[in-house]
Amino acid sequence: MGRKYLIYYAIAHAEFRFPELQSISELFGFQVSLPDSEEDRDPTRPFMIVELDEDRHARLLAQRCILVKAIYELLGEGVTYEQLHASTKSNKSIWDKYQQNSFRFEVTAVNHTIPSERKVKIMEDFEYMEFQGPITLADASVVLTYFEEYPIKHTLRKRTEGDGDFDRAFFGRLIEEGACRSLKHKFDVKQRVYYGNTTMDAEISLLMANQALAAPGKLIYDPYCGTGSMLFTSAFFGAMVFGSDIDGRQMRGKNLNPPGIFQSADQYGVLNRILDCCTFDITRNPFRTGGILDAIVSDPPYGVRAGAKRLGRAKERPVPRAPLETYENTTSYVRKPYELGDLTADLVLLARYLLRPGGRLVWFLPTASEEYQDVDIPVCEGMELVANSEQNFGKWGRRLITMRKSTNCPEYPPPSFDPAYRMAELGDQATAPSGHRGFREKYFAGFKKIGDSSN
Amino acid sequence: MVRLITHNLLACHVRGCTTNNFPLAFKDVEIQLREAEFNQDFLRGFLPKLEWRALVDTAKSLNDQSLPDTPPAPEQMDTEFLKALHHVLLEIHVEEGAMVCANCGHVYPISNGIPNMLLQEHEL
Ligand SMILES: C[S@@+](CC[C@H](N)C(=O)[O-])C[C@H]1O[C@@H](n2cnc3c(N)ncnc32)[C@H](O)[C@@H]1O
Ligand SMILES: [Zn+2]
Repeated sequence: MGRKYLIYYAIAHAEFRFPELQSISELFGFQVSLPDSEEDRDPTRPFMIVELDEDRHARLLAQRCILVKAIYELLGEGVTYEQLHASTKSNKSIWDKYQQNSFRFEVTAVNHTIPSERKVKIMEDFEYMEFQGPITLADASVVLTYFEEYPIKHTLRKRTEGDGDFDRAFFGRLIEEGACRSLKHKFDVKQRVYYGNTTMDAEISLLMANQALAAPGKLIYDPYCGTGSMLFTSAFFGAMVFGSDIDGRQMRGKNLNPPGIFQSADQYGVLNRILDCCTFDITRNPFRTGGILDAIVSDPPYGVRAGAKRLGRAKERPVPRAPLETYENTTSYVRKPYELGDLTADLVLLARYLLRPGGRLVWFLPTASEEYQDVDIPVCEGMELVANSEQNFGKWGRRLITMRKSTNCPEYPPPSFDPAYRMAELGDQATAPSGHRGFREKYFAGFKKIGDSSN
Repeated sequence: MVRLITHNLLACHVRGCTTNNFPLAFKDVEIQLREAEFNQDFLRGFLPKLEWRALVDTAKSLNDQSLPDTPPAPEQMDTEFLKALHHVLLEIHVEEGAMVCANCGHVYPISNGIPNMLLQEHEL
């Protein structure tokens, strides 16, 4: 039977909470049991009680989950103050072994400030625990924390108003503070030696590396790597990483030597885990073989700031012979638009080729929310959906999609990046209108339906 | 970078160039040796995907003779072999120069450790 732990969550990115928990427990091979009732699983609330086998698993969650602020062994809970104490007393066998330890007591609240007089009173009310060890502020061997959770106050009221009217109270022994705050700071884009205007922010880059199950011994690839954000976070968690981009300037920066992407990697101490970065168009890629990657993480071009492009000429014309170019002087390569619906279909088919069985594809799918249907995620034989988390920016949204290559599947051929292959593998989906097909046009049209003349 | 592990995974992809398009030959290279973390699991996991002949020949072309002509069976891979493999795959970096296709002659230039593998219109 598992033991109960209290997870204190950051409120942001509710949609990522369960996928992240699932990923990290899968990565380290342990079970997390979630609460039965929907209300207790509500990802917009700051606390969730889970069952784990041991403290070590709680520590792993605290160290890897970007959304976890801290994890506690649960000692008591209740919707009233009396209930909390009754529950704590009934759990004596969990905490009596700490009665002689050095300890510290913390009393705090979410969405509220408890007045200091009542704080003192609360601490005194735990006297029945008979903790006799020394009270030490720094390095106490046991930290006991009492939390009250209040509803979000929407009006400008005093932080102490309604004191005592909490929704729930929790009491726990601190297992470990989450590494999230320091990691978000570490990977802060503004502190990075080199970045660009589509550089992915720190928190999402970390979440993506978690979804990719980044760990030592693995190889992770970003085919639209730009300035490299997800390469850095994946490498930080121990993976070897490989990046490519159609635009060499994204990776190099202007006249930077070493290239900017390598300078940033060096800043994070992961330069040696960057296998290589190469300039090529993913639709004209030089991979000799498939089945080589543990994960693909990517933020493909949405076409909002810069439309996706691929090599080639939009209309058939006689082909002029150009001299071989030595550098990625982009103007010397002919490009044509790359429709987002085609891009997403191709990415899933490419992942199916390049991944090892069981490997993951983690990527963003921009979508005009009103038209979103699950069918928008390209589905093909050999690739299964693991998670789908939406970030909503008002009129548009993006979804972080996690897919897995099936473990029992044949080797798949390299995709040919043309309509016939998409049609053969994906059928109707390859051409059906969907939330991301024509995304760029809709973004600029303020997401009105094409043909909608009202307004 | 370019490391030999990457080099072993990439072939010439010019249109119609489908035979004798691997391995690409290094030309006019400037090499740096840099230490990398040794990870046995990574190496063992990758071995089945390597083109051994191409790896050995390419290493020789860069004056590294440390790899045997045929790879040992998995149970006979001792630390000495794995260390040599580790060095060849991960610690030799081609910083400048080019990779050239033996079949069609396409030159993939490498500058500051990044190879340019874009294709011209007539090669698509
Ligand atoms: C949204 S940005 C990725 C940003 C990256 N995650 C970062 O943190 O810097 C998309 C990238 O895709 C690249 N790109 C566009 N079309 C491409 C293609 N056909 N093949 C490869 N890369 C392409 C663009 O040059 C751009 O750098
Ligand atoms: Zn060739």
